[in-house]
Amino acid sequence: MARILAVDDSPSMRQLVKLALSNGGHEVDVATDGVEALSVAGKQQFDVVITDVNMPNMDGISLVRELRRLTNYRFVPLLMLTTESTAERKQQGKEAGATGWLVKPFDPDRLLSIVSKVLT
Amino acid sequence: MESLAADPRCRCETLGVSAEAAAILLAYAMRESEAPAVELGNALERLGQGLKPSEGGPAPALLTADLAACVRALQFHDRLMQQLAVIRNLFTRLADHPLPQMAGFGAQRWEELLAQLRERLAADTHDELFELLVRTGGVGIQGAAGAAHAEGSAELF
Repeated sequence: MARILAVDDSPSMRQLVKLALSNGGHEVDVATDGVEALSVAGKQQFDVVITDVNMPNMDGISLVRELRRLTNYRFVPLLMLTTESTAERKQQGKEAGATGWLVKPFDPDRLLSIVSKVLT
Repeated sequence: MESLAADPRCRCETLGVSAEAAAILLAYAMRESEAPAVELGNALERLGQGLKPSEGGPAPALLTADLAACVRALQFHDRLMQQLAVIRNLFTRLADHPLPQMAGFGAQRWEELLAQLRERLAADTHDELFELLVRTGGVGIQGAAGAAHAEGSAELF
């Protein structure tokens, strides 16, 4: 079981990610944007962070960049989960320090297998 | 007496008001649909809790598969909301555009306006949606197929 932070500005997406991961036995916390996620991640340690890209206040790519600056998140898997699929945006995510890029809609089993993969 | 409708300035004002009204209606419809989607998500969560295996036994496979199908399907609400948000923002931009600049603009001005709007589109799918809205047949089958192909994909760096 891993502690996972799911970040998305859409309430229904937060629910679905949480539901999929909880059913896989993980403990899931949620945040509505990059600012809130950074605050939550500063207070407790997560094993994986899954974040949307386009969000108000702080986008997912900026969040990844900020998390990588924190010593305790330097090697934590950070996954982007977004509708965006352009090579340019993926490259931005990669340069910011993202571990992987998942395009919505996600399949619950696939998401769980990717989480397992990045945790090993 | 000259018809008011024939006055370019009047037409622009009508266009601005219509665009603003469309943006408000869209925003209202989007807000209204949020609560039922969240309610459905909550119901799925409760179902998921009920499916957790008790006494070490496996969860019913068929119900687990149905729950996964619901999770996949409900994500299209989020996709729809994102696309509607793009359309709402385009309408808002159109409504906010200064009327004197809108009045009597020609093809070149229109292209400038479209370029400005395109720069504000975050995703390639939004760009395709925009093209669909402003130009008939502007989206190639290949482009649409490419976007669909990327859906659900995963890449680890």
